[in-house]
Amino acid sequence: MSMKIGEKAFKERIGEGLEDTVMRGAVSSAQERLYERRLSASEELGNWEKWRELGEEIRQHTLKHLDDYLYQLSESVSARGGHVFFAKTKEEASAYIQHVAQKKAAKKIVKSKSMVTEEIEMNQALEEIGCDVVESDLGEYILQVNDHEPPSHIVAPALHMTKEQIREVFHEKLGYEMSETPEDMTSFVRAILREKFLEADIGVTGCNFAVANTGSICLVTNEGNADLVTAIPKTHIAVMGMERIVPTMEELDVLVGLLCRSAVGQKLTSYISVVGPKGEEVDGPEEFHLVILDNGRSNILGTAFQPVLQCIRCAACINVCPVYRHVGGHSYGSIYPGPIGAVLSPLLGGYDDYQELPFASSLCAACTDACPVKIPLHELLIKHRQVIVEKEGRAPKAEMMAMKMFGMGASTPGMYQFGTKAAPVLMNRMASNGQISKGIGPLKNWTDIRDLPAPSKERFRDWFKKRQKEEQ
Amino acid sequence: MKGTISHRESFLAHIRKQLGKDSSPSASIQRPAWMHQVQWETNGLLSKEELVEQLKKQCQRIHTRVVETTPQEAPSVLRSLMTEYGEGSVMTSGDHRFEQYGFYPMFDSLQHEGFAVTSWNAEASREENIRLAEQAAYSVVFSDYTLAESGTVVLSSHQGQGRALHFLPMMYIVCIEKSTVVPRMIQAVSVLNRSVEEGEQAKGAIHFISGPSNSADIEMNLVVGVHGPVRAVYLLIDDE
Amino acid sequence: MKISLLFRHQMTKLMNQIAAKKGSSPMKVHLFVTCLIDTIQPNVGKATVEVLERLGVEVEFPEAQVCCGQPAFNSGYTKETIKVAKNMIKAFESAEYVVTPSGSCKAMFLEYPQLLKEDPVWSAKAEALAEKTYELTEFIVDILHVTDVGASLKGNATYHTSCHMTRLLRIKEAPFTLLSNVKDLTMTPLPRAENCCGFGGTFSIKMTPISEQMVDEKVQSIEETDAEYIIGADCGCLLNIGGRLNRLDKPIQVMHIAEVLNSR
Repeated sequence: MSMKIGEKAFKERIGEGLEDTVMRGAVSSAQERLYERRLSASEELGNWEKWRELGEEIRQHTLKHLDDYLYQLSESVSARGGHVFFAKTKEEASAYIQHVAQKKAAKKIVKSKSMVTEEIEMNQALEEIGCDVVESDLGEYILQVNDHEPPSHIVAPALHMTKEQIREVFHEKLGYEMSETPEDMTSFVRAILREKFLEADIGVTGCNFAVANTGSICLVTNEGNADLVTAIPKTHIAVMGMERIVPTMEELDVLVGLLCRSAVGQKLTSYISVVGPKGEEVDGPEEFHLVILDNGRSNILGTAFQPVLQCIRCAACINVCPVYRHVGGHSYGSIYPGPIGAVLSPLLGGYDDYQELPFASSLCAACTDACPVKIPLHELLIKHRQVIVEKEGRAPKAEMMAMKMFGMGASTPGMYQFGTKAAPVLMNRMASNGQISKGIGPLKNWTDIRDLPAPSKERFRDWFKKRQKEEQ
Repeated sequence: MKGTISHRESFLAHIRKQLGKDSSPSASIQRPAWMHQVQWETNGLLSKEELVEQLKKQCQRIHTRVVETTPQEAPSVLRSLMTEYGEGSVMTSGDHRFEQYGFYPMFDSLQHEGFAVTSWNAEASREENIRLAEQAAYSVVFSDYTLAESGTVVLSSHQGQGRALHFLPMMYIVCIEKSTVVPRMIQAVSVLNRSVEEGEQAKGAIHFISGPSNSADIEMNLVVGVHGPVRAVYLLIDDE
Repeated sequence: MKISLLFRHQMTKLMNQIAAKKGSSPMKVHLFVTCLIDTIQPNVGKATVEVLERLGVEVEFPEAQVCCGQPAFNSGYTKETIKVAKNMIKAFESAEYVVTPSGSCKAMFLEYPQLLKEDPVWSAKAEALAEKTYELTEFIVDILHVTDVGASLKGNATYHTSCHMTRLLRIKEAPFTLLSNVKDLTMTPLPRAENCCGFGGTFSIKMTPISEQMVDEKVQSIEETDAEYIIGADCGCLLNIGGRLNRLDKPIQVMHIAEVLNSR
């Protein structure tokens, strides 16, 4: 699949999401746990604000000098014998990966979790040339078995499923007969995947952070699957979003710490590995390929949206978002959901497919508060709205007219006076007992689910003026 | 032999254009002095004893058992651990410290009892090493640095220590010398980074391992023992 | 808003606090009453005036004020927002202190400098306005140094922490401080208080199905407290929550904190 999920219109996706009570229950309870864990991890560390500021500083510096760091990275990877392919588009990236697989006559591919490989539709590209691609991350494996269902969360991809649903999938597709306890299902998958690791011709990973001066990539997991993927197969292809880079391992310390605490409330995950082409060890990849992907990221540089590239893909914003909690990840229509998705998807995928996302937010700013590298997410959502309305001209005509009138009426005290004196006269026809319950026009959506007090005949300013006169 | 680099010129040129830069990219880009020193300040003043306590406490939270011992007793303590968990084949790293702490007599006697004891070694083929690791019940290694804050052992790959050694065997036993215990990641990576800056070839793999493998992908329920080892034990040797 | 603006506001606040201590003549504030209160909830405005006057403050009401511009700004209409903002800047130009019973409206004033950054004259005026504007509870506690306004209200209440006030303005303590000193009032903490109530201005009418779920979640949290009153400092939130409570026939009464502080 690509970044885009499905073909349904936004309203339909939201409607479906809201109806899916099983999914919403699963998402809500997962969110609550992840929220608690992040909070307690950050409190235990102490000085959380300082860590966030440091994280922001490192990311901003790196983006400012992204060309230099990517240059340094490519030099250090190639000095170690690894190959670097700079891919401007997702097609170029996929084509290169196909080419490597064909050259190696590879048939069996095992991969660890990588959002960017979803973005470039790598699995399909490899399957097209006759390869068998297996996801080794437990959550991604579940989705793959379930007819390639797209992920609904960038850290816990199967978060929207209950264990009963997962057991059903395993039973139906793989003949699984044991219980629905996570322990049983996990040991079942462990046995299957152990074989896959040992047989694979090529291992594919994403890249949490590339380390510019060592020519390595850092992989962060709890399962250890990324390590098996990069230890056993003789060829390793790593795919990275071009902005996912740190200058040295010292900065890795900061960002990996922020990532693990923000994503899952751990100080560090069980396995954090800084790997590249094999060194003296007899295992590890004899052939290493680093595919550095642009796919629209460079167009974000130098614009007001540049801060979104600071993202370390921790999903802290997704875990606090009330909208995400109620509609689930698939409603966003993108593999990048939640607040980060609402900012990033329109930038990488265009407004045609994603113009509603920036409006699906109450601007509560919980995301901005949660972001470990201080991306001003809610401000970027407003920025998108400005672009959609004023630069792209995509606002509905009726809304534009209403806002024009608002602009005039609210900047001209005389007009406002007139309008607000007239309003009660008009609106009181709709009121009973001082409440409006059946509004028309823009009020209809409000009154569909809420009452609205009818505007008062005596406005505050009338009262104040009268009072002033009386005092004189 | 140097690896290939493709399409770099135009790719980076576009980035430079977006960033409004004229100059060519430079591999000698310098980091600024970061505004906060919080990496070093955190736990930076703890004594070794306090760090060891912190390490032990943290290991409890990450399902990792810590067994304290002395250099003299280390081999026999390891032996009794294996009895406790059930003897099986052992694969060690090719590390001079096994000799240093006198493990070989114990390994020899284990072999006499019928359990295979092998070590990862570059003389044998890749396939052979991986096969032995896959069949091993225990892998036993030494850590280079140990991070108290997160209960993490830091190990780099070398001829005597492949990558798969840490992941294929069922039980993972790490010998930790107390002298290698440091507060947190920065102390370890700053040393590793300095050697890279001084021109040393980067290691094929540097692993930061904190306990056994696990996953919470099913309804956020933690399951310990997924693709990597199902159990981890740290043998803390007081070498100070 | 930029961190330096918030910082400068805090510095000005500090200086005002010192000045307030020294001042002998009654302090004069210009009331920014907000369009919602002016037209739909005038009682909140009246209560605000009475509370401030009782605390020895003289209240002026510049008639030229209309709206802070949030509806247009949050929907992406910056041109219209600028028109509206300039009117507000003009209306409050002569004020020494501007006080408003709405966290989100003060937060909107803090957007003005960035909005007008292309125009040095207007952006300077916008900065001046942002620095001298206070939310009501912030003003009472931090400038007037009053924590007990002498109010009394018998009953069991819970408080809704609005998103803009808590996250954008970082005003977290002042409302609780004032409410804790209201005689006979028992405050119960609201569970999951950090969750947005689903108002979000135009969000409440543009994304109604999602907004409905969010406000229902909030209503459920409120019901868990068994409170008779739900108190808040932002009329937008209160209209949203109150409107839903009404529609669901819940007996919980909605009060703005100004009305609570004015109760005797």
